[in-house]
Formats: sequence, structure tokens, C-alpha cells
Amino acid sequence: MDLLPTEEQQQIIDTLRGKLLNAAPVERLRPDRHGQVGNPDSELWPQLAELGFLGLGIAEEHGGIGLTAVEEALVFREFGRALVSLGILGITLGSHLVAGHDSSLLTAILGGEPVGIASPRGPTTSGTKISGSFHLLDAADARHVVVILPEGVGLVERTAFSEVDGRMSMDSNTILQRGKLDLVAPLFWSPAASEMVHTRAILLLSAYAVGMAEAVLAMAVDYAKVREQFGKPIGSFQAVKHKCADMAIAAEVASCQVAFASIIVAKGEREAVYQAHAAKIVAVDAALKNAAQNIQVHGAFGFTAEADAHIYVKRSHVVDFLAGDLREQRAALIRTITPPN
Amino acid sequence: MNLDFTPEDELFRAEARDWLNENVPRAQRPPEGQAMREFDLAWQRRQFNGGWAGVSWPVEYGGRGLSLTEQLIWYEEYARAGGPSSELLFVGCNHAAPTIMARGTQAQKDYHLPRILRGEVAWCQGFSEPNNGSDLGGLRCRAEIDGDHLVVNGSKIWTSGAHLADWQELLVRTDPAAPKHKGISWVICDMRSPGIELRPILIMTAPGHHHFNQVFYTDVRIPLSNVVGEVNDGWNVAMSTLGFERGTASMSEQIRYGAILEKLIEIARERFGKQVLEYDEIGARLAQLRAETQAVRAMTYTTASRVARGSLGSEASITRAFVSQLQQRIRRIAVDVIGPDSIELPDVDPWIRPYLRSYSNTIAAGTSEIQRNIIGERVLGLPR
Repeated sequence: MDLLPTEEQQQIIDTLRGKLLNAAPVERLRPDRHGQVGNPDSELWPQLAELGFLGLGIAEEHGGIGLTAVEEALVFREFGRALVSLGILGITLGSHLVAGHDSSLLTAILGGEPVGIASPRGPTTSGTKISGSFHLLDAADARHVVVILPEGVGLVERTAFSEVDGRMSMDSNTILQRGKLDLVAPLFWSPAASEMVHTRAILLLSAYAVGMAEAVLAMAVDYAKVREQFGKPIGSFQAVKHKCADMAIAAEVASCQVAFASIIVAKGEREAVYQAHAAKIVAVDAALKNAAQNIQVHGAFGFTAEADAHIYVKRSHVVDFLAGDLREQRAALIRTITPPN
Repeated sequence: MNLDFTPEDELFRAEARDWLNENVPRAQRPPEGQAMREFDLAWQRRQFNGGWAGVSWPVEYGGRGLSLTEQLIWYEEYARAGGPSSELLFVGCNHAAPTIMARGTQAQKDYHLPRILRGEVAWCQGFSEPNNGSDLGGLRCRAEIDGDHLVVNGSKIWTSGAHLADWQELLVRTDPAAPKHKGISWVICDMRSPGIELRPILIMTAPGHHHFNQVFYTDVRIPLSNVVGEVNDGWNVAMSTLGFERGTASMSEQIRYGAILEKLIEIARERFGKQVLEYDEIGARLAQLRAETQAVRAMTYTTASRVARGSLGSEASITRAFVSQLQQRIRRIAVDVIGPDSIELPDVDPWIRPYLRSYSNTIAAGTSEIQRNIIGERVLGLPR
């Protein structure tokens, strides 16, 4: 029993963190760089592909790296920390959906071809055919879109959506559209009740949220150490220190649970569903609360466009709504009759 | 990263489970008084006779010297079997004994450790004073050296179980001229010594509930041979004990609360109906508590992993701060789950007294505010 990363896993984390610090510093999302509206991250996909970070959890026989949900969760923390476009989730889930079914499409995705995400705006129907109204995330330049529904995860062609209509997103670095599916049969479909892709989606979103919760904790602490008022660093005042301590608690709770859940998901045990729901509850809770506290610790500067604090708030809200928001996660958890122990 | 236990661990788990299922007391633990003392001591003796006392104690002191993983398994099985909390023996088993092991003389070890382990004695803690709670380092209870004795004068307060204890771990000021953390000594005080007087302090849980005390010391003579560590080095001695309390000792408590929460969910399902609960406010809170309780298990495993790698730092204070508040919220929701009848205070009371008692969770053994200072300064490196 060991809940800490192995040496090899730590190497993966360090390599990716180093790569993202250079290729995707959070400053890239500031107004004076790539513009506050838009998303520069599709340039990242081929680079991540080259380093082997795409297809991490895909079996070697299908052309992946042959690692597990544990390593995927570890890299998704780093993606969250760096606010990498959620298109990375489209690529990861897309590759799981097609692995073993369509090798040329898998090769394209693992080479860095963008895959969008579709998330329901309201009630949907699924089964052999999907209908409903969706938000499309970072899907504008994608051939395929991963549709995340309560009943499962499917892959459809982007052209299967009708009435596609661009929308400004609260998270202005996410490229947002609306679109409809009307009795569209997915190219590939993984039911939540019998397979792991849906649970994996919940887990990876949780990991992404942990990365965000930890990133804003670090931002707040760094700022509280240097910003002075009344002749002292504000971090010496308990009103600020205790806020930071609460952020550290929330991040640690979420981090431990996501690590725990990732091991169970990797094993493919039935318990994985419960553990993933629990992970998303504590992780999204931590991301939302920490992101808000981080703005408060930064004061008026935290409220500006050029402080990166606001982007974490907005991305946390987007992550909350994917694969079921806190309300749905809690309903799912309380529905479970006997928890694993 | 893995959650695999070795075949030896699994064998140990099976043995622990069997023994606990046969031996855990079925009778309700008395909430206070001599009956509670007898209950806790009898259960400790039973564990000792069964070879299960001091699973985490080194073999040389009569324990089983088990690895942290095995301790974790023991705590899990203990909680699963519904083992009682043995609160009165906590100070002896988890404070005094580890401190004596770490800093005590051979004579102190030989005399006290077996008595603690065999369930013959109860200990209490004499740390807080009327004017020094969170600011423990400023304590004033005086002790002057007179020949081969210390002579103690002063007062301690909030001393849980002083009226039921045989011994006390007592912090006294032995050098009033030294800087505040450098003039303190950690001594073993016989609670039957002449000059000790107790004033019972009733607590808020229920009328007449005698839990803690103010203790007055008037010319109380304690042999110098009862000083643990060096005279005037008591602050360092005490810190090693507090570190223990904030670390692994509360593991079983953390696990026990899972069962308490599940019982509440069962009651809520019966009262509100399964369907209603799903999108109901109480259902959402219960789900949140379930997620957090599961996360505590993950945190406990993480702590064990850090200890196994020798890398446990101040992170344990994060777990403790979180757990004390989580337990409080679990106790609090009981009132809403039970509904109007929770304003009754029945004799057999699994919910209301524990709820009221939980107000102390974020005060005792370091307030939540002190815990946050520790997290802020030692974990995050924020300035004092």
C-alpha cells in the first residue's frame, strides 16, 4: 500500500510540469499575449504527442504507452495546474473510445488531432441514438467530438451537430458553441453502467480540479508572503493565514482522494464509480472555493483581467458542469446503498 | 501508487477481525464516572490478555511492534467491529507512554509502561491553565526544587478525567527567569499526592455531566526522579507528545466516523425516503460528508505512506484540522436527520450528547485556529 507516486511516476510529473512551464505558462492566457478570447493550446497537442503524453493510458498493443488511470490522473493534475485547454480531455477520452476499434483514427488522435467535447445543456436521450442540445467545447477545429452523457460517453463527427452557433464563454479561453444532435448514432459508445470511460472522465476532471486547487493555493501563498500592508506581509495576519490554511486543507483532501480513486479506477473495480464521484465532489469543491479565496487574498489586483486568478474561477465552473455537476455527483453518491470500505 | 496489501497483512487482518468480533464489548460504554473507568480499563485488560494491547508499541515495551500498515489494518478492523473509544485511556496510551518511551528513564519505563499497557491505570493531562490555553508556552504553575523533590504550587484547568485518573502528565515552570519555552519541566504526578484538590467543571452536554476539572496544587511534593527528560527541557518533551497526538494516534477515530455517518444515512432514508433524499438539501449534505469521509481514509493512507517513506512532516496537522471539523459536521447533521425528536435527551443517546460534545472537537488539543497557524507557518511557510 503506497499512495505516493513512484520514482517513475514522479519523473512523468516532473517532465510534464517542466514542459508546460515552458510551452504553456499561465501568462499565455493574459490579454496582452494571445488575446483574452481564444485558445492557443491546439499547438500543444503535437508536442505532447511527441513526448508520449497522449495515449498514456492506452494499451501498447493499440499504439499507446500502456500505463494506467493512475498516470493519467497525475498528468491531468498538471494540465489543470497550467489551465491546459479541456480539449485534452476530448483527446484522452476519444482515444479510449476508439482504441481497439479504429486504428487509423487512434493514430491521428494520438498524433495530436484535436477532439472536442460536448456536454448537455439540459435533458438528453441516448441509447443507440443521441438527441439533445449541447455545449461544444474547444470543438471548432475538431473532426470528432466526445459526448459526455449521464448514461455513457460517445464519439460523434462534429458535422453531426446541427444549428451550431458560436457563443462567448464566461471562461473566455474556452471556445464555446451550441449545437444539437437529433437521433445521431455515435461512432463509438461506452455505457457508464458496464464500462470505465465515463468513470475515467469523472476521475480525470477531478484530477484537473486538484491541479487548479493546488495552483491557486500556491499563488495565494506566494502573494501573501510578499504583499505588505501595515508594514508587514499580509500572510502574517491570521485573517489571511487562515484562509491560506483552509485552501491547503481543501487541496490536500482532494489530492488524497483523487490518488486513491485513480488506483481503484485503474483496477477497473466496481467500487471505482463511488470513488470517482467522491473524488469529483471534493476536488471541484476545492477548486471552486480555493479559486474564490485566491481572488480575495490578492485584493483588487485579484479582480483584474491580468491577474490569472479569475481564469481558475471560470475554468472551475466549466469543469464542474462536465460529467455531472456537484448536485448530480452528490445525488449519485447518496444513491449508493452501501459504500465500499 | 498502489492499494495492495501483502498476504501477511491480509492474514493479520483476518486474525484481528476474528478476535475483535469475539471480544469487542457488546454493552454500551457508560458515559462518565467510575463505571466508565472500569469499562475502559476492563476492555484494555481484555485486549492485553488477548495479545492485542499496544499493537503499535515496540516489542521491548510489551507491544507487538507492528508496522504502520498493520496498525492501520488494526484500526480499520477495530472500527469495523464497533470497538469502543476508550477515551479515558487515550492520554496514558497515546501521550504519556510514547513520551516515556522516548524520553523517560529506565526506572520510569519499567514502572509505568506495563501498568498502562495492562489496563491498570488511567492518566490525565495537566497542560492548560486558567490563563494559558492556546498560549501553552506561557504556563505559570510553579515548581521549586527542594532537595530531591519538586514542590508544586498553582493550578491547571480543563483536565479531562482528573477525577478518574491515577497519574498525570504535568507541565510546570521550574525556571521563571528563563525565556518562556526554556523554563518548563514535564513531570509525572501521582494524583493521590497530598495537596491536590479538584474542582469539578460540568460540561455543556447534559445536566450534571462531570467531564473535566480545575486542579489546584498546594505544596505538592513530586520526586525529582519523576521528571521526564531534563529539568527545564519540558517544552521539547511536550512537543514530541503533541506531535504524536496530531499524527497517527487518531487514525481509528477517523475510521469510526464512517460507520456513524452510514447509520445517519440509514435513518435519513427511512425518514425521508430514498428518492426524496437524492436532490434534497440534507441528501446533498450527507453525500458531501460521505465524500469527505472517504477522503479521510485516503488521507490516512497517505499519512501511512509518508511515514513508511520517512517523509511525514507537518502535513499531519492538515488531516487533524480537517477531521475535527468533519466530525463536528457529522454530529451536527444528526439533529437535522432525526428531526423534532432531537430536542429530547434520552437515556440511551447515540446522537444528542455526542452532538453537543462535538463542540469541543475544534477546541481540545489545539484549537482550529492554532491548527491553522501551524498549517500556515510550518506547511505553507507564511511569516509569523
